[in-house]
Amino acid sequence: MNFRIYTSEQEENICIRKKAKTWQRSGLISEEQLRLMEAETEPNVHQTNLFFRLIFFLFTWLCATAVTAFVIWLMKEPSDTAAMSILILFSIPFYVLAEYVIKKYRFYRYGIEEALAIASIVSLCVGCGMLLDKYHLDYQIEAIAVSLIFALTFFWVFLRFGFLYSALISITALSTIPFQLSLSPTEERAFLLLILCLILLINILLDKSDNEDFRKERNILIQACLLAAIYLAVNLRLPELVSLYFDDRSIILQPYAGFSSYIYWLSYILTFLIPAIGIYWGIKRRKRLIMNAGLVLACLTLATNKSYLGLTRYAWDPAILGIMLILISTLITRWLSRGPNKARYGFTAENILKPESHGINLTDLGAALTPVFVDSQQPPAQAEKYFDSGKSGGGGASRGF
Amino acid sequence: MNIPNLLQKMYEDKRLSREQLNSLLDIHGKRLFSVHHELRFFLYAGILLIIAGLGFTIKQYFAQLGDIAIIGTLTLCACAALIYCFVKGNNYSTEEVTSPNLLFDYILFFGCTVYSMDIAYIETQFHVLGDLWNNYLLVSAALFLFLAYRFDNRLVLSLALSTLAAWFGFTLSGPRFSFQEYYRLYAITYSIIVFLGGGFLYLLSMKKHFFDIYLNFAINFLFIALISGIIDYKLFSLYFLGLLAACIILVLYSLRTGKFLYMLYAIVYGYIGISIGFFDLIRHETALVFLYFIVSSLAVIIMIFLLSRKFKENE
Repeated sequence: MNFRIYTSEQEENICIRKKAKTWQRSGLISEEQLRLMEAETEPNVHQTNLFFRLIFFLFTWLCATAVTAFVIWLMKEPSDTAAMSILILFSIPFYVLAEYVIKKYRFYRYGIEEALAIASIVSLCVGCGMLLDKYHLDYQIEAIAVSLIFALTFFWVFLRFGFLYSALISITALSTIPFQLSLSPTEERAFLLLILCLILLINILLDKSDNEDFRKERNILIQACLLAAIYLAVNLRLPELVSLYFDDRSIILQPYAGFSSYIYWLSYILTFLIPAIGIYWGIKRRKRLIMNAGLVLACLTLATNKSYLGLTRYAWDPAILGIMLILISTLITRWLSRGPNKARYGFTAENILKPESHGINLTDLGAALTPVFVDSQQPPAQAEKYFDSGKSGGGGASRGF
Repeated sequence: MNIPNLLQKMYEDKRLSREQLNSLLDIHGKRLFSVHHELRFFLYAGILLIIAGLGFTIKQYFAQLGDIAIIGTLTLCACAALIYCFVKGNNYSTEEVTSPNLLFDYILFFGCTVYSMDIAYIETQFHVLGDLWNNYLLVSAALFLFLAYRFDNRLVLSLALSTLAAWFGFTLSGPRFSFQEYYRLYAITYSIIVFLGGGFLYLLSMKKHFFDIYLNFAINFLFIALISGIIDYKLFSLYFLGLLAACIILVLYSLRTGKFLYMLYAIVYGYIGISIGFFDLIRHETALVFLYFIVSSLAVIIMIFLLSRKFKENE
């Protein structure tokens, strides 16, 4: 059954145009060839650039929120029932408008239709949440019901409009259900893993090789996110890593992270297995995002390895991981560059496809923030330290000893 | 229509050469798969982790290691990195220069960061310049600027501009994160200097591709300072006029160059500034507040919609 508001041909043409633009930017085809490709793949939709899309989304969302809030305010301290009814009622025109602007103006990822669809879903879910609250249901049932409504409605938006982020929100909403069931931590994680693995399995089964490119790319992103989510559910030492990052050195590692030893060691094995599967699967099937997710997860495994084994953490551990990353990257680069035509087994370190440049990127931003880190990592002056420890008499100085 | 069919059709129509067809089919079919960006990412992450490890180690073990060991190691690392760059680096050019290898840019960045750590450590421990320690930042910014231009390195240019911002007194790590009058004027001065500096080098055709970085720094500092001014002095102030003028200039620049990131800045910062100003006037009339947000957001949507249709942006 096809619920999609855009035809497969439209979406495939958009995907082809996007690739053609990347080829032109990378010097693989000329400007004229790009024009010819675009002429052959007219998607008959209106698109805009990323920044206009963001502006449209932001201001449409603001407008929808302001309209809803204004109507509720006009009712002068409305009852919960009235506010709930307005929220549920408003979800209808927002949704209808989202469909209308797509059909009338042929918008595709324009921001306006996205904000309207999301505003509609949020309005509906909040309204339903208030409705359930009105019946004084058990908190657990209410929370599960709201999570399910969120998951289902966002999934519908994904099916209908194809917004990838709504699929991810839907999965996130579904993932909160195990935490509402008053289960033990082990059961919570097991249930969560079951949900995530089931979704991943369904997605893999639906990801056929004869699918259109746009569908394949969408599935790869969902699969990469699911792989990462499964890993996050499995790794029991990640919360401590986050605490260490925020310099909470006082943290004491709980034995087996509060789980039984079997679960703990099983999770330890899985923290190696999941990234390995991701990397292998990504390389074998040339699924870039899955390969990248696997690589990042492998780094996380190395970062939590000491916590798992109960080994002492040292301040220089990040540097060792950094040296390792550089050595591996350099060795791979050299190995690939020395192959015939600077490639081996179809892999190359050459920059074939250039990404779109927006003037500044995240790496520039990271570099700009480095002085903040340098400043924050300066030890106190030794002279001050000397007095602080009380080694000196101080001679009437006002400092504390 | 799919990509192989389209490419084949174009080849048969003699719109695509045999080499192009083969190479594009190889790329599309992932028989040729570039891991360039992944390798770059892990090199950058590796360098950042080394810098983090160095920072943590110094902070935690400086008493055991001793000043000589720390300063010696940092100086050695910085010198080795910079010597490597001068030995291996390509010749200077005013145009964009490709790096001799993937690691090169990150080694230079590492050298500059370690140099910063070294200087910061020396000053923290020995107070060589005392109250004038800020001048280290100015010297460092100048050095980074030189290195960024010499080796065509965007990371080091960002480092130079943020070090210059630190010289002006801006820091995110200290307890002071308020935008008082003093900092506001400094932020405006900083953004004007950065903009003029970048613009001057652009006009001299020196690394024209760096101009966007200058502009991003200047715009963000300027707008934050102007908005903080509007928060204090409200609608009837020079800050408000300044914000309007800056937004108009930025929108025009964005339209002229087709760089729509600047349009985003102009619209978002402009809207925040104007809303703060108007909110102060209408805050006692709740209905007007709601109407303001409804009408103003619709106005922005219509304006940008008309602009986007005019430009027929396809992506």
